[in-house]
Amino acid sequence: MAPPVSTPKSASPSQPSGKSEVTDLKLQLRQLAGSRAPGADDAKRDLFKRVISCMTVGIDVSPAFSEMVMCSATSDVVLKKMCYLYVGNYARCNPDLALLTINFLQKDCHDQDPTIRGLALRSLCSLRVQNLVEYLVAPLAAGLKDHSSYVRTVAAIGVLKLYHISATMCHDSDFPAALKALMLSDPDAQVVANCLYSLLEIWTQDAANSDEAAREIETLYGKSIIYYLLNRIKDFSEWAQCLVLDLVSKYIPSDNNEIFDMMNLLEDRLQHANGAVVLATIKVFLHLTMSMTDVHQQVYERIKAPLLTLVGAGSPEQSYAVLCHLHLLVMRAPMLFSSDYKHFYCQFSDPSYVKKLKLEMLTAIANESNTYEIVTELCEYAGNVDVPIARESIRAVGKIALQQYDVNAIVDRLLQFLEMEKDYVTAETLVLVKDLLRKYPQWSHDCIAVVGNISSNSIQEPKAKAALIWMLGEYSQDMMDAPYVLESLVENWEEEHSPEVRLHLLTAVMRCFFKRAPETQKALGAALAAGLADNNQDVHDRALFYYRLLQYDVAVAERVVNPPKQAVSVFADTQSSEIKDRIFDEFNSLSVVYQKPSYLFTDKEHRGPFEFSENLSNLAIGGDSGDDVIHSAQRYEENDKDLLLSTSDKEENGGPTHNGSSTYSAPSDVNSSRSLVSSSTTQPAAFAIDDLLGLGVLDTPVLPPPPALSLNAKPVLDPGTFQKKWGQLTVSSSQESTLSIQGVASLTAPQSLIKHMQNNSIQCIASGGQPPNYKFFFFAQKEGSSSFFLVECIVNTASAKAQIKIKADDASASDAFASLFQSALSNFGSS
Amino acid sequence: MVEKQTTGHHVDRSICAWFWHQYNHHRNNDQMSVVTSPTHYLFPLIRHGIIFLACTQLELPPLLPIEFLSRFADILSDYLCAGSGAGATLNEDIVKDNFVIVYEVLDEMMDNGFPLTTEPNLLKDIVLPPNLVTKVLHAVTGNSSPSVGPTLPHAAASTVPWRSTHPKTTTNEVYVNLVEQLDASVNRDGNLRRCQVYGEIQVNSSLPGFPDLTLSFTNPSLLNDVRFHPCVRFRPWESSQVLSFVPPDGHFKLMTYRVKELKKIPIYVKPQLTSDSGNCRISALVGVRNDPGKTIDSIIVEFQLPPCITSADLTSNHGTVDILADKTCRWSIGQIPKDKLPSLSGNLVLEPGLDRLHVAPTFQVRFKIMGIAMSGLQIDKLDVKNMPANPYKGFRAQTQAGDYEFRS
Repeated sequence: MAPPVSTPKSASPSQPSGKSEVTDLKLQLRQLAGSRAPGADDAKRDLFKRVISCMTVGIDVSPAFSEMVMCSATSDVVLKKMCYLYVGNYARCNPDLALLTINFLQKDCHDQDPTIRGLALRSLCSLRVQNLVEYLVAPLAAGLKDHSSYVRTVAAIGVLKLYHISATMCHDSDFPAALKALMLSDPDAQVVANCLYSLLEIWTQDAANSDEAAREIETLYGKSIIYYLLNRIKDFSEWAQCLVLDLVSKYIPSDNNEIFDMMNLLEDRLQHANGAVVLATIKVFLHLTMSMTDVHQQVYERIKAPLLTLVGAGSPEQSYAVLCHLHLLVMRAPMLFSSDYKHFYCQFSDPSYVKKLKLEMLTAIANESNTYEIVTELCEYAGNVDVPIARESIRAVGKIALQQYDVNAIVDRLLQFLEMEKDYVTAETLVLVKDLLRKYPQWSHDCIAVVGNISSNSIQEPKAKAALIWMLGEYSQDMMDAPYVLESLVENWEEEHSPEVRLHLLTAVMRCFFKRAPETQKALGAALAAGLADNNQDVHDRALFYYRLLQYDVAVAERVVNPPKQAVSVFADTQSSEIKDRIFDEFNSLSVVYQKPSYLFTDKEHRGPFEFSENLSNLAIGGDSGDDVIHSAQRYEENDKDLLLSTSDKEENGGPTHNGSSTYSAPSDVNSSRSLVSSSTTQPAAFAIDDLLGLGVLDTPVLPPPPALSLNAKPVLDPGTFQKKWGQLTVSSSQESTLSIQGVASLTAPQSLIKHMQNNSIQCIASGGQPPNYKFFFFAQKEGSSSFFLVECIVNTASAKAQIKIKADDASASDAFASLFQSALSNFGSS
Repeated sequence: MVEKQTTGHHVDRSICAWFWHQYNHHRNNDQMSVVTSPTHYLFPLIRHGIIFLACTQLELPPLLPIEFLSRFADILSDYLCAGSGAGATLNEDIVKDNFVIVYEVLDEMMDNGFPLTTEPNLLKDIVLPPNLVTKVLHAVTGNSSPSVGPTLPHAAASTVPWRSTHPKTTTNEVYVNLVEQLDASVNRDGNLRRCQVYGEIQVNSSLPGFPDLTLSFTNPSLLNDVRFHPCVRFRPWESSQVLSFVPPDGHFKLMTYRVKELKKIPIYVKPQLTSDSGNCRISALVGVRNDPGKTIDSIIVEFQLPPCITSADLTSNHGTVDILADKTCRWSIGQIPKDKLPSLSGNLVLEPGLDRLHVAPTFQVRFKIMGIAMSGLQIDKLDVKNMPANPYKGFRAQTQAGDYEFRS
């Protein structure tokens, strides 16, 4: 969190530049070094200032290091500060010369003035030179016992710096224990906070390797320390309060009285002037009441007002971060915010990312009572100068229409949009009308009358054009000139650049043909011929497919292309509820701003990359497993990225189309079974094809569950498919189990567990993490069946607990599998 | 560029170059408040043309760096601008001239990435701000006094960390200033869509010793939600809705509050746009509604001309109309004259090929009303205890327009 102040780069004349400047400075410093003349300090001060400003603009002044150190013997505090700053910056690249500074820094650590003692100690710890750590221990130990609280605060953080340079040195000197003692006894709140901060960081990093540290961490989350900190919370500075509140949010109280006591104690924190404190408090409240539904609701009511104030009162940066959190809460409990809809109205001056969030919230909280108001407001945005926002608001109107029962008024509004004759408004509206018709076919009559008047030439955007063509095909019986419009579109086949539109055109002509054969026959012939000659593989294939289908049997073709459709009741959700829950758990963190759980964006850098086992089909052929896994468990950076991509894609598309099936799952084909298609990709190819044709033979022959579940010893699943499945399926079983002590002991690296599970016919597809937390993704396949079980298993070796989430193609067998998995897990280490 | 590495993990300067590139690239668009770079997550904060940037690789509460940066920006401008006269704002040159102060302050405010001392009063005891006195001293004696306080403040250990134990001022006065910001939006039919007030109570206190103040309102039930400076005691507010506090020295924000669902707005704008065959007639009327009883000052009406307009010819019967470079039309009215209603009229020429104007510009209004808080909040009295002599107490109120917009 280095906050460097960056100023616009401009070559100002006062800015020193170049090498000669440095040599010049060196020379002058040398002259001054020994001087004890009366004005020497002032001259030095000017020189130091110049050195520092050189350093600041990025000129390397490290050659002057020894001269600077020579000049540093001074009693002037400002000079000292500048010198510390310089030394701190360059000691790292001059470790040998840094030794020179130790002497005067150590001397300053015994100065009478606490300010100087503190400063010296801070600079000493900031040198970060490996071979100088031995000089740190004594001043630090003295600093922790200093009678000035200022020095103690510096020393507490100094211990942490020492730890980062040399962890063993830190432990050998018994500093953590000293910090803990200080934390529990010091009268100064800032010292306590700094001790806590250091301890948390030291022990969290240590917990990987030592059980002791893990236990210490547990005690920090324990009742006595939490209470000790909570009782002093008002003494802490606002930043320390954030730290304490974060700690408290991980504490699990034993009973409800405790929860209420804590909430009463913290309630006034909600009115703190610092937004960070308010958010941290809200997080504590939400976590405390997670298990009490009614109180949880009350908490929402209570935190609403502070959040809304924060959004409005802060700087734009603050209000965006708060708005993201509000967005999360609104998405979780839209009902509770339904009366506050006016707060989410967009202001003209809001930046567009804020407007976008607000639109999403307005969409979510729309219900019977406020729909009219909200839709009226949204319609005003359609005329907005900002075109992307105008589009978004039209989409929002559409979404509200799709989630409401009473769509009468909204449909009218949408149709009014079509009359605005603005190309992007028309385009967006067409797409929406299409979706609307798929859900509410009963409105077709009204809509078609208006849509029929739109000239297909005026629409340029592929999505809108595709939507219009879909409607032409679907409702060709109601639109007088549908065949002729289609015909003219087919004539312009060559000019149509988007394959999506051409695909839709093919299907629409087919549909139209079955309804009004004589008028369409010519167009169909032309379309099929053009399609067969098309460069695009998908278009070509579909044309060929229709052609052969027609050749084979026209009746079958009609059943394939024009099956009776049922209205879509629910459009697939864009973000799985599991991900939403996870983000909610990470309230008051960046996850909320990014709308992604943190493991998706911090894992790669910090918890070690996910290791995807090499393609498992190879493994299965390779026979004996264990060593192979270790060798082949290469980093699959690409896969990791895919993981990132797939979620973001999902968010953007806002629809359930999958890469694999997108060409075929265009609405025209799978209208009746769209929601089913998403699961169909998990089925073997043969079934998937049936499904794509929309024949409705979707039911995978589900085998009656065998009495005892046996697993395929060598299942094959590639990481891509795994990810896709994981995204689609819902959690069928979620459990927690305990590992045996031997199990924990042998889990020094993920590979040991992977090997063990493999012996139980459960394959690992990815693993990662660092002690004490490991994360595995396993999969297994039912013997003689195509259904897979996917498992996410998070093992904490410190608590010997494992969190298991199981997703299954065949949910009925998941319980049997869960027990099998658990027994395999608990056997771990004992065999 | 001033940088401060806080942890052992070294952040390369090139990140700034990357950010700068991005910033220039997106200048015309909106800037996000959290930026993802290839290696770090950045929190930029822009104040007076200076960008404060924090980097992290870890997950953390997003408001922590943002709040810290804004606090840092406030303190820095407090430090560096107080000496150079009122109204001065932070700028590049001031920062350049005072690198050393910036480093010193930053050093005290944060250690190893963890915020340390952020109370301005405390900081000023540790690092003396560059003020007129030291400058004069320097000029006269040729020997500048150290910009570091001789002793450490011990307020850190006291129960009220925001108040230093040796306040220097003895003018014995306290000013309370009610500043409100009125947000309103009116839709094209002239209906008030929403209207709310964000208010702040700013206090400037220069009282000696250890004063204990109590501020009460005549109508506290009006307040919808409040946030307090840490010095405000919570219990008295809960029980009897009074603010009881020991103030820090100097300027500070005692309380911010929100009042929602106001029914009345002081000023209205009636815009009218009619367009046909490539031309658009525009007219706008401004008038006072629900007269607040005080003069409304510095009224400015602004609207953005849609990009599809090639030229505009606008005149008004009062005030001046300017069209700025970014196609913003600014109509400065000042005060509304007694005898007539200010009106603006003119003709907009649309791009060739366009028949009618499809987009509707939003009219934003700025104004200032001195002497009144539009929410109706009134201060009842301010009691000062624990004081040898009765101090001078001053009260003021002011309302200004926030997001005050009329859609057409």
